[in-house]
Amino acid sequence: MILLVKAFGNQLMAQKDSIHLDLVTVYGYAPERFMSGLKVQKIDSATMEQFRFRNITDLLSLNTPIIVKNYGPGQLATVAFRGTSANHTAVIWNGLNVNLPTLGQTDFSTIPVAGFDQLSVQYGSSASIVGTDAVGGSILLGSSMPQAGLQVMVGRQQESFRNSQTQATVKYGTSLSNKWIFAGKTAAYDGRMNNHYPYIERNNKKMIPSETFQKGLVQDLYFTKNKHQLSAHFWLTDNQLTNNPENFTGREFTGIKSYRTMLRYQVENWTVRTSWIRDIIDYATGDYSTLDHGVTDRIGTRIERAFEWKIGNLGNIQMQAGGEFTHYKTQIINYNKPQITENREDLFLLTRWQATSKLLVSVNLRQAFVTGYNPPFTPSLGAEYRLIQNNINALKIRGSVGRSYRVPTLNERYWKSLGNPNLRPEDGFNKEIGLEGRHVVNAIHAFTASITTYHNRINNWTYWNPANNFRVENLQLVVARGIETQIGWKGNWTAWKAGANVNYAFTKSSQEKVYDAYASDIVGKQLPHIPLHSGNVNMFVQYKQIRLTNQLQFVSKRYTLADHTQSSQGYILENFLVETTFNWHGTAASLQGRINNITNSFYQSINGNPMPGRSFAISLLLSLKTTNHPI
Amino acid sequence: MKKQLFRILTITSISAALWSCNQSDPVPKGTYVQGVFVINEGNFSQNNGAVSFFARENNTADADVFSLVNTGQKLAGGVQGYDIAGDHGLILVDNSAPGQDKIQIVNANTFTSEATISTDIENPRDVVAVTNEKAYVACWNTLNSDYSYPVGYVAVIDLATNKVTKKISTDKGPEKMIFSKDKVFVGGYVYGGGTKLTVISTSSDAILSSITFKSAPNPIGVDANGKLWVQAGIELFRLNTETFAIETTLKIGTDASKTPGNFAMAPDLSTIYFVLSYSDANYVNHGATYKFLITDTQVNVTTPFVNRIFTGLAVDPTQGLVYAAVTPSYSQSGYAVRYRGDGSLVDSVKVGVAPTGFYFKQL
Repeated sequence: MILLVKAFGNQLMAQKDSIHLDLVTVYGYAPERFMSGLKVQKIDSATMEQFRFRNITDLLSLNTPIIVKNYGPGQLATVAFRGTSANHTAVIWNGLNVNLPTLGQTDFSTIPVAGFDQLSVQYGSSASIVGTDAVGGSILLGSSMPQAGLQVMVGRQQESFRNSQTQATVKYGTSLSNKWIFAGKTAAYDGRMNNHYPYIERNNKKMIPSETFQKGLVQDLYFTKNKHQLSAHFWLTDNQLTNNPENFTGREFTGIKSYRTMLRYQVENWTVRTSWIRDIIDYATGDYSTLDHGVTDRIGTRIERAFEWKIGNLGNIQMQAGGEFTHYKTQIINYNKPQITENREDLFLLTRWQATSKLLVSVNLRQAFVTGYNPPFTPSLGAEYRLIQNNINALKIRGSVGRSYRVPTLNERYWKSLGNPNLRPEDGFNKEIGLEGRHVVNAIHAFTASITTYHNRINNWTYWNPANNFRVENLQLVVARGIETQIGWKGNWTAWKAGANVNYAFTKSSQEKVYDAYASDIVGKQLPHIPLHSGNVNMFVQYKQIRLTNQLQFVSKRYTLADHTQSSQGYILENFLVETTFNWHGTAASLQGRINNITNSFYQSINGNPMPGRSFAISLLLSLKTTNHPI
Repeated sequence: MKKQLFRILTITSISAALWSCNQSDPVPKGTYVQGVFVINEGNFSQNNGAVSFFARENNTADADVFSLVNTGQKLAGGVQGYDIAGDHGLILVDNSAPGQDKIQIVNANTFTSEATISTDIENPRDVVAVTNEKAYVACWNTLNSDYSYPVGYVAVIDLATNKVTKKISTDKGPEKMIFSKDKVFVGGYVYGGGTKLTVISTSSDAILSSITFKSAPNPIGVDANGKLWVQAGIELFRLNTETFAIETTLKIGTDASKTPGNFAMAPDLSTIYFVLSYSDANYVNHGATYKFLITDTQVNVTTPFVNRIFTGLAVDPTQGLVYAAVTPSYSQSGYAVRYRGDGSLVDSVKVGVAPTGFYFKQL
């Protein structure tokens, strides 16, 4: 996958140079370095560009096997990664877990692609590297340092149903006195989803009216000089969702506002990071004069030191040792105390051993401490071996075994009467093995392929037990296993380019422990909302500056009940895109036209409501850039 | 002896009535002319309630009759009640989204969709057929923003036009209704904040009286002697249905932390079944199902009828079996468990999600 992505990426970079910055060295925290043996998919900048005005959920469902559990357009969207639950995906922003600590998950509908510069998807457990929640996988979002010069981008997307998004970005970089270099990015976006459908129902099912207003501000600042690197990152997301806005007694408002700030300083082998995140959730129905208001603060410090040794025949060993401390403070009206505070500490040791040019091994260890109880010691071992490596063929085998854990959410522990302070952390054990290959036929055609199989056993899986007045308990034992495959082709002629990429995932995830008399109706059956078969097909043809893309996503039947007595049918979603770029001396205009759900396919949200049919979008991005020059 | 005589007379009169029906009307045709309908509330956010059906002699059910008969259609909500007026079946559908609640009217014998009424129906809770052309539906109305209950209403449904012809205001959170002769007694939801039993005249559709209790009154039924039984808290009251005077008060045990519910009056109109439940320190529900006679001077809560709790309870007038609803969780099917009058188990039938009630249909 990575190979393919790089190949595509480079090619597209060349094509879209006028509106892209060249790839820059990854700056700052790069957990991927210690993920050898794990499957990591870096989303290339061309794909990021294609989804610039869309939500991360669209990007993930069309490019990865991640299942997005959607409650409706612009509404709550959670993910099921490799057959796990919404709580089992760590969302990492510049190395920091940004999942809401109250819910232990991220509402992906609040994360537009415009909010970050880089995106990698890491499959399987990586709790030893990134900490809690990374049971099924992790989503790594990152900022990248802009180059010298000035770049201004302004864009707007207009969609069906009176939906739109506007965004503006300024990137700047310059040399200061005394060899200091200063660079930064300021970006703002504003999305309005009015969802004014021209129909009130689809397939005899009523559309649920809803509107979502989304705002965001990103500010990255970098100061570097020789071995000193100082950076500051700020990301505000403000998402306001109203269901049934026209119904003044029954309308429902959910506001999620997150302020995420980080200060990072690296000198030689030492790195210090401080961070502060404030998440504010407001909720009300009918009368909005008194909102259910919840505020959670996280103040953290992380310090780490990197080591590197070259040991003769034993190759090169890189190590990163460090610790992290986070103080949590939350005030939620429905908690059993007006204010909850707790401290969490993590100690970690990450190792990357390049034993030979063919063999790469990672050993990672982590121990977390949480006020009141301690999650399990979390080790992992991963290795990659290059079986073949030449200009025509490359074949790599990789494998990993690792433990994972999830600290129960604040809701799970502190919610009035239903929460359970004695809850144990969930713990998982993940094993996986995979092959990645590349074959270059000639100067025109090249193929990539990969296959991965995994087995992830998660014990003490929490469950809001209805037989127990919905009090949360460590009842379940879930085993998730599956196969993921990818096949890609690219053709590169002079004026013409073409490519295709297919992802397919088979996912079997089931509850294995009997915990009451009626569990026999459930045990061994596929978990609800997780399809057995899912995947996507992306194809493009490009002639000079004009590019046509077809995106297709397929999801098989999903059971909506644990005993399989109710289900929602499988579906295929197909989108079609036309893009072109015009250039005039450092100024560029990128135009994209898109038809969503081109076949008008009927599919349902997780609560059974119909999703919209065919829709159209058009976007224009204007970009102004001074000449690039090295700083 | 007197009771036996009464029974014989009742059976004779019912037979006579049926006989006369047979004389005048042809036997109704349809897959659902007789059998057991199960009301399944479903999981609220999933809007997946249903009406299940099985013939009395079977032990498998059609989990969702409406979807089965009406291809491509779904009730789209939780089912809160079902009753039959003439040949019309009225299904109360409660959707999690406001403004989407409705009464789905079906042909009572074939279950084919006839009409829906959504105007003036918000949070429907219970339905009673008053005549072949008229039904009452108790509605909570839209809840206040702080989840407190506004004054509710009883919607008067005209089945000739399929419209709400009148809304009769009640106390907060109107819930169960009992229809007897020319009156409907409307109770209240235990957490609704209302304390009045509203009495409505079915001839004038107007309130005759409202009787205040210490907590939400829950009407159980009118017994063999024509007396109305009402439960409120851990107390049972026997009321005169004409003067509304309380004639007798009985206590259900002495422990106010236990909640009595799911009352079911047997067809003999003399035996009343109910579930008495409580949560322990770990919020685990415990309890048992009991029964008493209308002549008892105290309610026996020491020897259970069945030593488990249920989410619904009813007695089949045809066979006298007790039907008990079991909800293992909201993410899997529930069961209808059948017991004989002595508490011995007959069998269990898998039904829809979260079964809460039964409707027994005869020819």
